[in-house]
Amino acid sequence: MKIKEGKLLRINLTAQTTKEEGIDPQLIKNFIGGRGLGTKFFYDEVDPNIDPFSESNKLIFANGLLTGTDAPTGGRYMVITKGPLNETIASSNSGGVFGAVLRKAGYYLIIIEGKSKYPVYLHISNDNVEFKDASHLWGLNTHNTTDKIIEEIGEKGTRVACIGPAGEKLVKLAAIINEKHRAAGRSGVGAVMGSKNLKALAVKGTNKIESEDKDAFSTEVKASIEKIRKHPVTSEGLPALGTKILDSIINENGLYPTKNFQFSTFEFCEEVNGEALVNKGYLKKNKACFACPISCGRETQLPSGRKGEGPEYESGWALGANCGVKDLIAITEANFICNELGLDTISAGATIAAAMELYEKGLIKKEELNNGPELKFGSSEAVVYYTRQMALREGFGDKLAEGSFRLTQSYGHPELSMSVKKQELPAYDPRVVQGLGLNYATSNRGGCHVRGYMISPEVLGIPEKLDPLELEGKPKWVMIFQDLTALIDSCGLCLFTSFALGLEDYTKLINAATGYNFSIEQALQAGERIWNLERLFNIKAGFTAKDDTLPRRLLEDPIPDGPQKGAVSKVETLIPQYYKVRGWNEDGTIPTKKLDELEL
Amino acid sequence: MIKVKFYTLLRLLIKKAEVEIEVDKIKIRDLLRLSQEAAGVKFFHKLLEDDGSMKTGTIILLNGKHISHIDNLDTIARKGDVVSLFPPGGGG
Repeated sequence: MKIKEGKLLRINLTAQTTKEEGIDPQLIKNFIGGRGLGTKFFYDEVDPNIDPFSESNKLIFANGLLTGTDAPTGGRYMVITKGPLNETIASSNSGGVFGAVLRKAGYYLIIIEGKSKYPVYLHISNDNVEFKDASHLWGLNTHNTTDKIIEEIGEKGTRVACIGPAGEKLVKLAAIINEKHRAAGRSGVGAVMGSKNLKALAVKGTNKIESEDKDAFSTEVKASIEKIRKHPVTSEGLPALGTKILDSIINENGLYPTKNFQFSTFEFCEEVNGEALVNKGYLKKNKACFACPISCGRETQLPSGRKGEGPEYESGWALGANCGVKDLIAITEANFICNELGLDTISAGATIAAAMELYEKGLIKKEELNNGPELKFGSSEAVVYYTRQMALREGFGDKLAEGSFRLTQSYGHPELSMSVKKQELPAYDPRVVQGLGLNYATSNRGGCHVRGYMISPEVLGIPEKLDPLELEGKPKWVMIFQDLTALIDSCGLCLFTSFALGLEDYTKLINAATGYNFSIEQALQAGERIWNLERLFNIKAGFTAKDDTLPRRLLEDPIPDGPQKGAVSKVETLIPQYYKVRGWNEDGTIPTKKLDELEL
Repeated sequence: MIKVKFYTLLRLLIKKAEVEIEVDKIKIRDLLRLSQEAAGVKFFHKLLEDDGSMKTGTIILLNGKHISHIDNLDTIARKGDVVSLFPPGGGG
């Protein structure tokens, strides 16, 4: 099947029906695939004001334009829905192999509607689709679920994406886990799946995905792989240390949030950084996703013998420094628990950190913990214990399962939740990096670094070094990063390719795959179109300019420690400039002129 | 004395956390040369291009501030300063 043509599979869980539909090729051209195409269908079909757990919410598994092809890292997929955590449009991205196999089964999109009367899983084998009873799987963790389904189906090459108990119990931080260790992590997408009584998708696909011009595509693929293999980040840094190459970099630059963003350097970073994971012997092997020449994944094993994958940088930070924890074994165990029970590591760690601050301030009382360990910063025991409790909604974990904003709000102190639009912030202090702060405030899914990774120019110096404290030019940079990320996501490629590849490279890959003949401006405009569509959904869901902000601590309190002591966020200055650069109204709404320009 | 600290890939390569260089005042480009001698392991190729310029993505901090916002490799380090070295890195 050709890359630029595709089908969608519409699955109604209530009636247990399935329907194949063609996709208008013009939609693929305008929205590319994956995040863009899935968002378009979601926007057109779902009322933005629905309750995320209602049957009217849909869950769209969306493959990128180049998912399943030979394009380097072409294995990524998105899960698009209305997020129960943030109540914005949620599009959660995952790697591994599942996306590639789903695309080879023939589908760009799987649109899941309604709610099953009893737990089911979907078995998709090329164009054969079955509803299978999952009652015997309900309650199992993601590893056991995956093993049992693969055994039951008995078809070699089957890949599984599933939820664990966290998704089943509607934990607002629940993730969808594929191949046991990869996560569509953020925004509670796993809980939407649980609300539909959908335990898993088991997929096998054997179709070949063909480009428009085989030779041109092959040439561009080779050229991209060569660039990735030559760049020091993708050929040396990430393979050697994984994403935990960042711990030392971020800590020494003074923006490593510690103890719920109360501090910006962690004195025990050397105990828990990427170098420690290697030197302590916990890293056993690299792991690569589908068609990936980078291989940044970490297969790890602890002295106890327990093994799994990770922790990644964000996970290690959230369950580590953000909770004041310096015990790499505990951090790794908590990370394994998140994968097994199906929980977002970033939000899990950040929610525990918020709870620790509430406890430190005497707002959560010991009696409320049901004999669990004290929620003290630095407690390894607490991080492991409450990660599990949260995933199972047991004891105090039931409150943690609502996320940091609802937790802190219930104690009368929502300002102690380090979140934007109720989604927890990741591992960089925005008071130091002004562009990243602007991205945090304006990201369409709330607290998120990856959708506009300004850390790259502002701290890492790629593609060029910007002064992180400077404001000049930042709104334009943020816009370009956000739009380019939307394009890369929609191609189904990994964002880490962007350390080595530029807009021109992605445009060449797209054109060779499809024959579209995009200019680089047209390619970037597709990303802009997708960004604006996501924002339109959020505006209709009731979000306004007042939601484009940062937690009060980060707006008002200067950084108290480290080389960036005294830094404050200037995001409130940047936002009006950002709206202008985006061509939006002063109140953050999108004028008809911009919608017409983007053909929205 | 100036402390020069090695991180990420340099730490794995050199197998030392830091070296101490006994000078009162020195340009970073000269400090790197002395540090390589003190470490006993060649590491310039991880940080610098063949022409001696910094690779895109190389991070050199003087007391936590990136030298590209001071005076690049001509930045002066003084007694008591800490210089931190990172080859290009990335993640998310």
